[in-house]
Amino acid sequence: MSFLFGGGGRPQPSSAEKIAAAEAEIEMVSNMFNQLVDTCTKKCIPNLYREADLNKGESVCLDRCVAKFFEVNVKVSEKMQGEAAQRQGGAMGGGGGGSMFG
Amino acid sequence: MAGVGGLNAAEQRELQGRMEQKQMKDFMNMYSNLVQRCFNDCVNDFTTKSLLGKEESCVMRCVDKFLKSSERLGERFQEQNAQMAQQGGMNAGR
Repeated sequence: MSFLFGGGGRPQPSSAEKIAAAEAEIEMVSNMFNQLVDTCTKKCIPNLYREADLNKGESVCLDRCVAKFFEVNVKVSEKMQGEAAQRQGGAMGGGGGGSMFG
Repeated sequence: MAGVGGLNAAEQRELQGRMEQKQMKDFMNMYSNLVQRCFNDCVNDFTTKSLLGKEESCVMRCVDKFLKSSERLGERFQEQNAQMAQQGGMNAGR
């Protein structure tokens, strides 16, 4: 671990930390996808299984479900970031317009 | 992505290995989920030990349908993700 700029900077993250950070991020995306699949199949695919193919209605429902899921994700994260910023005091880092995770 | 830009070859290999393990685990989870879902929805007659014809074809359709919808959801997910990444890049005012 080396210090940058003569002790003024932070130590470089170790190998293990970098891998863990990358892994955590991938895991977050993967979890989100699994949740998405679970939710949207429950909401859009009725459990009668009359035929093996997706019909037009189900296909469109799935597409819209994904779009809405992402939108909800963004809105929730914006709102939570907004509340966190408010709690810290509006002066710091003002303007949370459009900031998203990742 | 925090940290990924700074991974050297050895670290990338390690990450790759872990991702493969995770994919295996995810696949097994999906499989058992699918069995449970299709069983719950299709099999309700216990007057006999073996699957009825209609139960078996229901299960086959259930699996087909689920795999197809997973595939479609994966495609849409990637599209949305790419769109987000683009937008995030434009709006980031750091």
